[in-house]
Amino acid sequence: MKNNKIYEDLILVLRRSKKIFILIQVLTVFLLLNFWKIQVLDYKKYWEQSEANRMREIVLPSQRGLIKDRGETILADNKASFKVSIIRENCEDYDKSCRKISRLLKIEEDVLKERIKKYESFPIFKPIVVKENLSFEEVAVIEARKLEFPELFLQAEPKRFYPFGNLAAHALGYIQELSGEEIKNGLYQQRRLGDLIGKTGVEKVYEATLVGTDGEALEIVDSMGRSKGEIAKRDPEKGQNLILTLDYALQEKAEELLEGREGAVVMMDPQTGEILALASYPTFDPNKFIDRFTPEEWLDLVTSPEFPLENRAIRGQYAPGSIFKLVIDLGALELGLVDEKTVFTCKGEIEIYNEPFACWVKEGHGEMNLIQGIRNSCNIYHYQVGKKMGIEEISRYAKMLGFGARTGIDLPGEKIGLVPDPQWKREVRKERWQPGETISVSIGQGPLLVTPIQVAIYTSIIANRGRKVTPHLLNSKSQIGNKIFTEINTVEIEPSTFETIIQGMWEVVNRGGTGWAANVKGFDICGKTGSTQLISTEKYEEKKEEEEEEETKTHSWFTGFAPRDNPKIVVTVLVEYGGMGGATAAPLARQLFNLYRRKYD
Amino acid sequence: MPPLLLWQGNYLIYTEENMIDRNLLRNTDWILIGILLLNSILGVAFIYSSSHYLPGNYYVKQIFWIVLSSIALFLFLSIDYDTLVTYSFYLYLVLIGILGGILIFGTPIAGAKSWFKFPFFNVQPSEVAKIMIILLIAHVFAKFRRDYLSMGKGFLGVAIIAVPGFLVALQPDLGTAFSYVPILLAALFLAGLNRKTIIGILIFGLILGIFGWNFALKDYQKKRLTALISPGQDPLGSGYHILQSKIAIGSGGFLGKGFGKGTQSQLRFLPARHTDFVFSVIGEEFGFMGVVLIMLSYSLLLWRLFQSIGHSRDRTGVYIIFMVAIMIAFQFLINLMMIIGLFPIAGIPLPLFSYGGSSLLTTYLGIALVLNVKMRRFANV
Repeated sequence: MKNNKIYEDLILVLRRSKKIFILIQVLTVFLLLNFWKIQVLDYKKYWEQSEANRMREIVLPSQRGLIKDRGETILADNKASFKVSIIRENCEDYDKSCRKISRLLKIEEDVLKERIKKYESFPIFKPIVVKENLSFEEVAVIEARKLEFPELFLQAEPKRFYPFGNLAAHALGYIQELSGEEIKNGLYQQRRLGDLIGKTGVEKVYEATLVGTDGEALEIVDSMGRSKGEIAKRDPEKGQNLILTLDYALQEKAEELLEGREGAVVMMDPQTGEILALASYPTFDPNKFIDRFTPEEWLDLVTSPEFPLENRAIRGQYAPGSIFKLVIDLGALELGLVDEKTVFTCKGEIEIYNEPFACWVKEGHGEMNLIQGIRNSCNIYHYQVGKKMGIEEISRYAKMLGFGARTGIDLPGEKIGLVPDPQWKREVRKERWQPGETISVSIGQGPLLVTPIQVAIYTSIIANRGRKVTPHLLNSKSQIGNKIFTEINTVEIEPSTFETIIQGMWEVVNRGGTGWAANVKGFDICGKTGSTQLISTEKYEEKKEEEEEEETKTHSWFTGFAPRDNPKIVVTVLVEYGGMGGATAAPLARQLFNLYRRKYD
Repeated sequence: MPPLLLWQGNYLIYTEENMIDRNLLRNTDWILIGILLLNSILGVAFIYSSSHYLPGNYYVKQIFWIVLSSIALFLFLSIDYDTLVTYSFYLYLVLIGILGGILIFGTPIAGAKSWFKFPFFNVQPSEVAKIMIILLIAHVFAKFRRDYLSMGKGFLGVAIIAVPGFLVALQPDLGTAFSYVPILLAALFLAGLNRKTIIGILIFGLILGIFGWNFALKDYQKKRLTALISPGQDPLGSGYHILQSKIAIGSGGFLGKGFGKGTQSQLRFLPARHTDFVFSVIGEEFGFMGVVLIMLSYSLLLWRLFQSIGHSRDRTGVYIIFMVAIMIAFQFLINLMMIIGLFPIAGIPLPLFSYGGSSLLTTYLGIALVLNVKMRRFANV
């Protein structure tokens, strides 16, 4: 065989491999000598170290960044608070310890044990918090009986504190203990079980900025838990402060006005998108949540039928009612379907597609043009404009003006609302679009759903004559992300079209229109009222039944801006079950315009 | 498997029938298999001792992996290594595809995208990659018949490990990427290095090192390197692991504290007790005597592997056995140096002893290659 490999010359490679094997043996022996040194020669040293190796790892909690309003009033602060932890390593008898501690701290033994069990995976020398927010009496008792309880460890930590309680609670959000599930989901990789994190609002969105870096100290302790010295220490780093666009005074006023009702207020600078006030009522006190132990109050809030935790300004979905009429007018004007002089007559009722449709004034408004149609918020006028436009165009203009999409505000959980069209109805409701529905949509009823923040953006587009901004709470004075919200889009509608609509909105407030109650002399407010019947889709069916019994349950809207030229402020008010927009929402808006004018003008 | 016909000149060498020839069975190195199982079982015992109080039943999982890997080992034996080597380039391409794929589509576990998720277990392709690399390098280098390595071949070798190494380093798993290097060095050495080449490699390594320190290494990796020089400086951070490991080992003394009685490891001062630091547990619980015995048992494995190098019918076989032996020996030496602070903590496990399915499977497949070469050494006589 000419190619028989058994005779291949392998001597050279075999010799080389042998050299390597010898090298490996030498290294193995070298390692063995190292082990000999560590385990036999230095045995005593390491044995002593292992005995003294009772360490205590202490987390030195960092301080969360402060949250301030635009005038640097502190809305979210920190204050000192005491907490007590158990170090299992120092327990002589774990069960006995638990019994004694439960008596000392007045915690039920089962609750205590369950609490500790949650952190079982911690090293045995690591403290586990068993009670926090200690009173001075409790601190004194624990301190006095320190020697009796070597397993207890008392520590002060800076704690979140909202000095104004309810104020801007929905915008600020609240913080709570990180749950095991959230850690598993990998959302907070740097964080540990037991850390407090922002769960909603600004606290959540800017968590990464606000949170500091916890420090750590490693102490050697004796069997009694007494420190024998610090091995290492890393100081905590404070979180970064945030400045918001909110205005304390306006926010306070907005909440005061909503008190006792259910509703929402948005105040925004139309030119920049800065939110000056964002109120939702009923509200809650975030101070009550900052606890590692889920309190009953929290459960009460979560299950309350009034949904105090819901931020209605960005999550409440309502039919827009008459404030939507401006969408129809803008679209029809732009498409050339109507002009300023187009006249329709209102007799209080009209039959379209063989169905009767009524105006809100029984006796009718009579003959009127477009501007008068807006001023009187006439349904009959807008039914006919809407009919000319058709649902596809209505839906296109509604979306162009910001409905049916998130506004992009820097808050979590914003809802998108709903702009219906035949395709939506086919896909979701599996039904054909009825022509009569177009008529309902023309006056902002039907399946239409909008959020107050969308209405504020819609108003600002009109106020800006077509420029669309992104609403935001983060002040550009804050050092993070100065340029995040500077993107501005322009809507494809002629500025002159907006001027016509603005004339109508001006007359609504200043020429005895439906929004006269919002009038502030000399401030040139332009606005639009709305009264509507439905809330969110989830409640749709349920509410419908109720309405048959009680017809008075209408939501009250007002949205407007001022001054007419070079607008500075947009105010959107929604009051659930408030009755007519002109009667309830408009007077609230007036007070807010008034306060704004006194402060800034 | 379809009948496999291999022609060598005018002679039919073997067919499917004699692939499962009794000769093959007789030539199987049962001693090597025995040593392999012995070490695996010792490994399970220490994984049990170091992790039985943790949730996760690691020792049960390790047994499961041993069974699975043994099956893989025997399946691997049924394919002639020549066939594997012939197709090694395609296997390598598949590997690159997989490594690239997990970088893009993988979900990170503990911060690194190294894993393939299966319903009951995860696999690290970067570990199994070593087998593909060994086959391809054997393929390329076995044809090389000169006494000393040429520049071209050297760079080809570098390229073969550089591509998967780079992809793995991006995961980021620098330790595993680094463990490809000795496989290549082994091949280069076997091919013959003259002084010029050695100097060339050293300069290249130095440049890579400087570049790596400045651009590629992450902060925690740099800290580990500095901690190596002075572990006492930052005992809370990177030095902590080394210090705790040394205290555990040193306090074990000559005879150890007894099975399951290591205070340091049981008190959880010791990090990664059942994975990278499992040998520290051995040191603490069985003392110096235990260390000697385990090192002896491990050396037995390495001895058997190196001794097998002569039992090969061709250069391909020699290369394969030598690279597998180096792959295991390297991890053994580095892991032991790591736990006593002679080497930075690079996340290199101790094959057969550290908990971890992918590492175990790779070791078994590597040894399967060695057995494969040995049992077919008379195939064409």
